[in-house]
Amino acid sequence: MKDNRFEPKILAMICNWCAYGAADLAGVSRMPYPPNVRPIRVMCSATVSPHHILRAFQEGVDGILVGG
Amino acid sequence: MKDTRTGGAARGAAMVVGGGIAGMQAALDMANAGFYVYLVERSPAIGGAMAQLDKTFPTNDCSM
Amino acid sequence: MSLSGEAGNLTVTVRRHPRYVDVEKCIACGLCAEKCPKKVDDAYNENLIPRKAVYVPYSQAVPLKYAIDAQHCIYLQKGKCGACEKHCPSGAINFKDTEKTVEINVGSVILAPGFRSFDPGRLDHYAYGTCPDVVTALEFERILSATGPYGGHLLRPSSMKGKKATGAAPRKIAWLQCVGSRDQNRCANGYCSSVCCMFAVKQAVMAKDHAHDPLECAIFYMDLRTQGKDFDRYAEKARSNGVRFVAARIHTVDWRPGTADLGLRYVDEGGQLHEESFDMVVLSTGLEVNPAAVDLAENLGVDLDRHHFVATDSFHPVATSRPGVFACGVFTGPKDIPQSVMEASAAACAATEPLAAARHTCTRQVRVPDERDVRREAPRIGVFVCNCGINIGGVVRVPEVAAYARTLPAVVYVEENLFTCSQDTQDKMAGVIRDQRLNRVVVAACTPRTHEPLFQETLVAAGLNKYLVEMANIRNQDSWVHADNPDAATVKAKDLVRMAAAKAFLASPLQETDLPVDRGALVVGGGIAGLTAALALSRQGYPVHLVDRDKALGGQARRLNTAFQGEPVGAFLEEKIRQVQADERIHVHLETTVAGVEGFVGNFETTLHAKDGSTTVRHGVALLATGAEEYRPSEYLYRQHPAVVTQLEMDALLRQDDVHIDQANDVVFIQCVGSRNAQRPYCSKVCCTHSIKNALAVKARNPEANVYILYRDIRTYGTREDLYRQAREAGILFFRCAPEDPPRVQSAGGRVEVVFADPILGRRMAVEADLLCLATAIVAPAETELARLFKVPLDADGWLLEAHQKLRPVEFATEGVFLCGMCHYPKPIEESIAQAQAAAAKALTVLASDTIRVGGVVSYIDPRYCSGCLGCIQVCPYAAITYDPEARVAVVNQALCKGCGACAAACPSEAPVLLGFSNPQLYAQIRSAVAA
Repeated sequence: MKDNRFEPKILAMICNWCAYGAADLAGVSRMPYPPNVRPIRVMCSATVSPHHILRAFQEGVDGILVGG
Repeated sequence: MKDTRTGGAARGAAMVVGGGIAGMQAALDMANAGFYVYLVERSPAIGGAMAQLDKTFPTNDCSM
Repeated sequence: MSLSGEAGNLTVTVRRHPRYVDVEKCIACGLCAEKCPKKVDDAYNENLIPRKAVYVPYSQAVPLKYAIDAQHCIYLQKGKCGACEKHCPSGAINFKDTEKTVEINVGSVILAPGFRSFDPGRLDHYAYGTCPDVVTALEFERILSATGPYGGHLLRPSSMKGKKATGAAPRKIAWLQCVGSRDQNRCANGYCSSVCCMFAVKQAVMAKDHAHDPLECAIFYMDLRTQGKDFDRYAEKARSNGVRFVAARIHTVDWRPGTADLGLRYVDEGGQLHEESFDMVVLSTGLEVNPAAVDLAENLGVDLDRHHFVATDSFHPVATSRPGVFACGVFTGPKDIPQSVMEASAAACAATEPLAAARHTCTRQVRVPDERDVRREAPRIGVFVCNCGINIGGVVRVPEVAAYARTLPAVVYVEENLFTCSQDTQDKMAGVIRDQRLNRVVVAACTPRTHEPLFQETLVAAGLNKYLVEMANIRNQDSWVHADNPDAATVKAKDLVRMAAAKAFLASPLQETDLPVDRGALVVGGGIAGLTAALALSRQGYPVHLVDRDKALGGQARRLNTAFQGEPVGAFLEEKIRQVQADERIHVHLETTVAGVEGFVGNFETTLHAKDGSTTVRHGVALLATGAEEYRPSEYLYRQHPAVVTQLEMDALLRQDDVHIDQANDVVFIQCVGSRNAQRPYCSKVCCTHSIKNALAVKARNPEANVYILYRDIRTYGTREDLYRQAREAGILFFRCAPEDPPRVQSAGGRVEVVFADPILGRRMAVEADLLCLATAIVAPAETELARLFKVPLDADGWLLEAHQKLRPVEFATEGVFLCGMCHYPKPIEESIAQAQAAAAKALTVLASDTIRVGGVVSYIDPRYCSGCLGCIQVCPYAAITYDPEARVAVVNQALCKGCGACAAACPSEAPVLLGFSNPQLYAQIRSAVAA
């Protein structure tokens, strides 16, 4: 059964050294979360600029998580 | 299994007994300075007591 | 374990326990543990919850491979079960594994066996073991941890017993200090465990942080020993955030079974009795040497002290009684993480000193084929999709993902693997890369954090640049977290592969080049730390420039009498100075200052200013050991009355056999003069031990004298506690003075009258002192200029600020620059020496490599787009960017760049490119994340 509830597309720009590692650990610990997040690994959250955020919204992303 | 390459001279290898924070650090420093290191640990994983800590002060960093 | 041979050439016999799991085959999928029927207490979680007989000790364990606990395994004990073997997808279980004895030939051995936490079950008056809500500090740590028994929720263990337990948060927690420490009556641990005060303060802060409802935290202590760098500040912050500190030792915890009340009774400093109840009690259990480590020391012929710590002298803090065997960490005495890390590096330095001639003789070099130039080739991407046994394939429909991958642009080859990481797949992958002339590779498997290096190696073996591989994390961040939704997990896997392929499409080979390293070292500061570091480096074969602004070497140590175990400093220092002066590799520059520093790690060029002119020296590393100074007090009639002296002046009086000491009737010491106040909110660390040592020296010369020590907390941490006990036994009188009611001093003819409040007697006392010794603070000299030249930071108190207070205590974020001794923080001689050896060890890791590899994932600033606004220079945390005034552009020094990409985000015109993570690549990933 399909429902028509809005499901946001979420982009996660996450730092290799912490948040990306934490996301890996969530996997190791089998902690479930909704499947509509798409991670992008960056080498530091400081490298995420407003340009990336705006571009993502332009491309149709509904929400962005910057983790670092 | 004796290594005779260096004859009676000093060996370019060292052993560290204990894979906690101190043992790991000593092993890394020697390896990075050009010595072959044998790290010996009783348990199936390195990490020692520090791996049991949740956070460390003063920064309240995760101790992993 | 046993040992034979001589220092430099030792044969160690080691027993290797069977693991029963082949680490080459184990993929850490966890199926074995899931199927294992046997539950065992989980020691990692302090036995608060069970684990299985086949286990990984903890989820981030290295190696992340399972092991079978033979004592509890049903198959190994009773010969049947074998569930793990049946279910293991990679055939890693090997019940036939056996114990092996291995002989290993090494030059030196370092012992770092750690400690065990004191078991309060040996005592019956804390209700430990009977009431579940009385826990040890380590148990409490596990309770706070997200990977702990309650998933990081702060809950009382009694509320988690039984199957239907719902859990209840504590409302009032007490920490009882010195359980199993500073106690000769109820246990044999007369020493102070050094770490528990700070441990308890941190736990109280974290507990308050975890609690949803108001939580009361009280720490019951004897002396608050927060003597480390920034510790007092942390404790004061805890106090202002509501953590209560009560100066009282609790002897008994009253608990009536069936209630949640844990009753504590204590007498406050005014002598008043209090009764208070808590619903959780944390016992701050001390550190002690493991009996197995005591046996080990005995086997190896290493002497231990009366507390079972390795017997070391203050001038050789990591050497043991057996030549060739060194020790570090808690095995040489109770200590915290930074001190353990420093000692570990110190041991690495000391252990390799006799082996220096054999450096690089046992290490191996890897040979690699020449790299294929792919820059002019159109992208040909190969995609390898891993099933990871059933870890991925059991959730994600891998064939569907592989079929989808074939439709992606530039993808010319796709393959499914059962285990992409296995060695045979690596060999096959290298063949495929060559045969299919692939020039980009996507591996859809687990996480790049653990496996990227493996696949990079495979690319290199196939003649490709290692930066041409991209990973799609379809296990840790997909199949493992969406196991209940295979459809969505498969869609996500396709998206992740598409994103990775889009990024790989734009990948270009990254260059790495080797820059030569200058073999010399510069050591700034010729005190005990600088001398130690200079000798350590020279003895390993490297030339040293040792610079001091003073006329003579030796620093503050020239004014000290003895180290804490009574070792005379003077003779040791003279010998060190003689060795330095006789050393052909050490070039001493006296009355010299650093005037300018150019360059970076491996290639510094420093200008030195001396009276007779300037010289320039080239060096690969720099060690800052500029020391500290004694505070010159303005309080307590200092310099106004001849009976008032500072600690170092007291040392001089003792050294000169001054008659004032022999004739004195009353000698008073006042602690914390200039320390732990608003202006200098830190502890000077050495003064308590120093005063006690000098008080004992006064008593030894003049047993009739009354000696008083007025203090706030006596901080004789570690085995220095023995001195405190001796002092009390010798009749030295200790009075605790509250900081808000400090002693008052006035002139009384040739003597001074010291008036102070005695809380126990509840009245003011007055002592006419013949000699008043002020335990003055240690203050940081204003080294702002030196710090600026080397681009290293100072903290709020003026101490040089290391890269990481716990894990990088002798390094700076600026590579190739190190620190040691009192310029880091006040510390006793043995700690200065250990830190100097540690800084030398770190410097050796740079010097020994001959070259430094630069490049790879680093930033490059395209001069065509750079407008020279300096924005990137301001954000770079590693001072890796400089401004070229001729070209009017910013330039990245690849040797200093760590590849964080902060410059790329700060630049308004996208001139900096973080290679391997370029904006076109990130935009491609963003676009392909949403658009199929």
